[in-house]
Amino acid sequence: MRKWLARLAALGVALLVAGQGTTAALAQDPSAGKKTMRVGATQAMDSMNPFLAVRLVSTSIHRWMYGFLTVPDSKTLQPSPDLAESWTTSEDGLTWTFKIRAAKWSDGKPITAEDAAWTFNKMMTDEAAKTANGPAVENFESVTASGQDLTIKLKAPQASMLENPVPIMPKHVWESVTDMANYDAEKYPSVSSGPYFAIEHKKDQYVKLQANPNYWRGKPKIDELQVIFYDNPQAAIAGLKNGDIDLIGRLQPPEFQAIQNDPNIEAWNTQGRRASYLQINHGATTTDDKPVGDGHPALKDVKVRQALHYAIDKQKLVDEVQNGLAKPADGSIVPPMYTDFFWEATGDTKVTYDPAKANKILDDAGYKKGADGVRTMPDGGRKLEFRFSIHTDTPIEDKLAEYLTGFFKEIGITLTTKKLDSSKFSEETGVTGLFDIAISGWSVNPDPEEVMATHLCSRRPAPGGEGGGTESFFCDETFEKLYQEQLKELDRPKRAEILKQMQERLYTQAPIIAIYYPNDLEGYRKDRITSITPIPEAKGLLYGGSGYWPFYTVDVKATATGGGASGGGSNTGLIVGVVGGVVVVGLAAFLLTRRRKSTADERE
Amino acid sequence: MTTPLEAAEPVAAQAAGPGDDRPTGRGTLQYALSKAGGALFSIAMVIIGTFFVFRLLPGDPVRNLAQGRNMTPAQLDLERRRLGLDKPLVDQFFDFVGDTLRLDLGTSYEYKRPVLDLIGERIGPTLLLTGTGLIIAVSLGIWQGTRAGWRFGSRFDRFSTGASLVLWSVPTFWLGLLLMMVFGVGIGPIPGLFPFRGIESVDAPDGFAYILDVASHMVLPCLTLVAVVYAQYLLVMRSSLLEEVSQDYVTVARAKGLRDDEVRRRHAVPNALLPTVTLVFMRIGFVVGGAVTVETIYTWPGLGQLFYEAVRVPDFTLMQGTFLLITVAVVVMNTLADVVYHVLDPRVRSA
Repeated sequence: MRKWLARLAALGVALLVAGQGTTAALAQDPSAGKKTMRVGATQAMDSMNPFLAVRLVSTSIHRWMYGFLTVPDSKTLQPSPDLAESWTTSEDGLTWTFKIRAAKWSDGKPITAEDAAWTFNKMMTDEAAKTANGPAVENFESVTASGQDLTIKLKAPQASMLENPVPIMPKHVWESVTDMANYDAEKYPSVSSGPYFAIEHKKDQYVKLQANPNYWRGKPKIDELQVIFYDNPQAAIAGLKNGDIDLIGRLQPPEFQAIQNDPNIEAWNTQGRRASYLQINHGATTTDDKPVGDGHPALKDVKVRQALHYAIDKQKLVDEVQNGLAKPADGSIVPPMYTDFFWEATGDTKVTYDPAKANKILDDAGYKKGADGVRTMPDGGRKLEFRFSIHTDTPIEDKLAEYLTGFFKEIGITLTTKKLDSSKFSEETGVTGLFDIAISGWSVNPDPEEVMATHLCSRRPAPGGEGGGTESFFCDETFEKLYQEQLKELDRPKRAEILKQMQERLYTQAPIIAIYYPNDLEGYRKDRITSITPIPEAKGLLYGGSGYWPFYTVDVKATATGGGASGGGSNTGLIVGVVGGVVVVGLAAFLLTRRRKSTADERE
Repeated sequence: MTTPLEAAEPVAAQAAGPGDDRPTGRGTLQYALSKAGGALFSIAMVIIGTFFVFRLLPGDPVRNLAQGRNMTPAQLDLERRRLGLDKPLVDQFFDFVGDTLRLDLGTSYEYKRPVLDLIGERIGPTLLLTGTGLIIAVSLGIWQGTRAGWRFGSRFDRFSTGASLVLWSVPTFWLGLLLMMVFGVGIGPIPGLFPFRGIESVDAPDGFAYILDVASHMVLPCLTLVAVVYAQYLLVMRSSLLEEVSQDYVTVARAKGLRDDEVRRRHAVPNALLPTVTLVFMRIGFVVGGAVTVETIYTWPGLGQLFYEAVRVPDFTLMQGTFLLITVAVVVMNTLADVVYHVLDPRVRSA
C-alpha cells in the first residue's frame, strides 16, 4: 500500500515538474519575437508534389509557395501579372508569348522561361505529371523557351490561357526526378518562387512555411506561416477559441455559429465561391451516346425537371438548411461573387417557388395523379418515385433531403433518400449513372471555364464506361457551340456574355438545378491578426479565396518574449502542475484514510 | 509488498504449488509450437482473405482515385498499370501473396508512398498512446476490481462498478469532445489545461522539455481511452475474484488465521488474475490497431488515424495494409495469450 502512495506522490511530483517544465519551455521559446501565423485546416495534405496534389488544402498551400504565369488581381479577380510580367497573343489566338519576370527562386537562382517550359513539357510528356492539372495542357501543341520568353503554341484557341492553374516549378531542382508518380517532394527547404517556401512537413500534423526573402513583390510581413491539420472540425473550432490557431476557413453554418459570439474572434461571413445544386439524371450516356445507368424515364422530360424547379422553395432551404448563411440561387453554377460572369434569371425565364404552377405543368404534360396522390408516367406505367442520392455523414444533406421530400410531395412526386459513401457516390452519380437526383456542388474559380466544361459532351464517360469528369451527363448542341465560341473570344466582356448564355441554357434545360450559393464562413483571432486583406479586397474571402493575397498581406502580433500575452499559454503549464498535484495529493490523502480504516477493521 | 500487478509473475509458482506437475520445458514448447503452427495457418488465411475481401469491396479503386476529377482513359490506364490491376486476378493474387511475404504492402494511392513506411511512422505514436492507456486501464481496472470484488456490495463496489459501466457505455467520441471542452478549451473562468491536438506542439522544444511536451499532449487522449476501456478489466477482475472468494482454499486460508489482506493478496488475487491476463493479451493485439476514434478526435498521428484516413479517401492499399497488420497482430497476441495461459494455469494444461 505504501508503495502505491509513494508512486502516487511520485506521479504528483512528475506532474508538478511537467507543469513547471512547460512553463520554462514556453518562457525560453526560441520563436519569441517572431511573427508566426497559424492556420487550421480540417483536411490534411495529400502530397507536397504539386504535380500530384489534388486536395483543396494542398493546392492552397502550393498557391502560397509557387508562382504561376498569372494570378487573379486582388481587386477585380481578373488575370494579372505574376511570374509572367507581360504577354502577347498572335492574330489567330494560337501563339502566346509570355515574358518571364527576372526574379529569383528562394534559393537565389534566377527564374527563367526554361523553368516554365520544363514544367509544361513535363506535364505534356509524363502521364504521372498530369495527375493534378492534366487538362490545363491538353490543348498545348508545344512550349518553348528563349531567355525570359516563353512561347506556348496551342492546338485551338483558348481564351482561358491567362488562368493557367499550373504552378511553375524550378527546373534545376526537379529535372532529376525520374519517377514522378512516386515522388513526394519531401525535401526541405523547398525551392519556390511564391511568398513562402516549405521548411517542414509532418504528415497529417502540420506544414511550416517560411517567408521567401527573394519573393518578387517583397518579403511577406510575417516570418512563418504554419498550417495545422485537425482531424475533426470540433477540435479545430476549439483550437481557434483556445488560441492554438489564428485562422480557420471552410466552416459549416453550425460551426460558424459556435464562434460568432466570441469577443476575440472575428466571424468572417461573406459571399462564397460555391454553388450548390441538384444534379438530375436526364438520361445519362457515354461519349458514344449509349445510355448508362438506371435513371427514371420521367426525368428525361424537360417539363418534369422544370416542374421540380418550381416546386423548390429555395428561400426556405437557405433559412432552415443553411441557417440563413447562403443566398438562394436565381442563377446557375456561377455564384454572384463573380460579378463579371454571374448570370441571374429575370422576367419569364425566372423560376420562382410556385407549386401550383409545377402541378399544372405536370398535369398538362400528362403525368396524372393516382389514387394515392402520386403521379404516374403518361402511359400509366411507372410512378413518379425518384431516389435522392446524398453522402453519408453529412447532416446538412440529410436535412436538405427532408425538405425536398416535402416539396416534391406537394406536386405528387415521391422522393426517397439514398445515402452513399463518397467513393460510391462519385461513381454512381458521375460515371455509372445509377441515380435519379443527386446533391452536387462546385467551388468556382475566377474563370468559370472549367466548371462549364464539366457539362460538355466530351466529359461523359468513355465508351468503355470510364474516365470523363462530368457533373451532369449533359450533352447539348447549343451549350457545346457556345463553349467553343467563348474559347475563341479574347474580348473579356464579350466572352462573359457567352458564358452567361451558357448558364442560361443550363438553367432552362435543367440538367442541374442550382438551389443556393453557400456563404464563405471563416473565423480569425482579432487579438492576434492585426491586418489581413481578403480577395477580392472589397469584401472577399480569406482562406477560401483563390490566390495568396490574404496570406501575403497578413500581419500578426509578434510572439511575446517571456510569454504571458497570448491566450494565457504560459500559465497553462503552471495550472496543469498545480491541479495535477492537488488531485494526486487529495487522492493520496483519501487512500491513506481508507488504508487506516481498513487496518483498523482488520485489527478488530 | 506485492502489488496486484506484480503478482502476475509469481502466479505460476503459487498456483501450481510445490509437488504439482509443473510444466516441463518440453511440454510448454510443444504446446507453443502447435499454437504457433495454428497461428501461421490463421495468418495465411488472413492474407488470402484480405486479398479477396478487398477485391469484393464495391467500387473500382482507380475510379475512386479519380474522385470525379477529369481523367482521360489513358491516365486511368496508367493508374491501373501502376497498381497492377491490369493483370489477371490469379497473377494479382500471387503477386499480392509474394509481396506480402516480402513485407511489401504496396504503395498508398493517396500518399504515393510505401504503406509499410507509413505504418512505420505511425506505429510509434500508437504504441505510446494505446500502450500507456492499456497499462493505466489494466492497473486501475485490476486494482479497483479487486477492491470492489473483495468488498462485494460495499459503497466502493457500487460506486466503481457503476462509474466504470457508465464510462463504458458513453460514446467515445462524445466523451472525447467533452474532455476536450472541459480540459482543453476550459469552461467559464477556468482556462484550458491540456493541448488537444497532435502528439507535440508545432514549435516543440528540444530535449527534456520535448518529453514533457509530448506527455502533456498525451493527457487527454489517454484519459479518454482509459475511461472508456478500463471497465472491462474491472468487471472481469471483480467477477473472477468473487468466484475465488467462495472457493474452499480461501476459507482454509482464512481458517489458518491469515490476515484478510494477506488472504486476498497471496491467495485469491493471483488465481483471479488469470482471466484478466488473458484479456490483457488479447487487447494488446488491438492496441496495435490504435484507437481510431480517440486518435481522430485528438488528431493523434497513429495507425488509427491512418486507417481512418484510408477509409475516408478511400485508399485501398493503405486500408488493406493496415487491416493486415492489425489482424496479424491480433492473431499473434491471441497465440501468445494461449501460451501464457498454458504456463500460468495448470487446468489448461491437463485439458
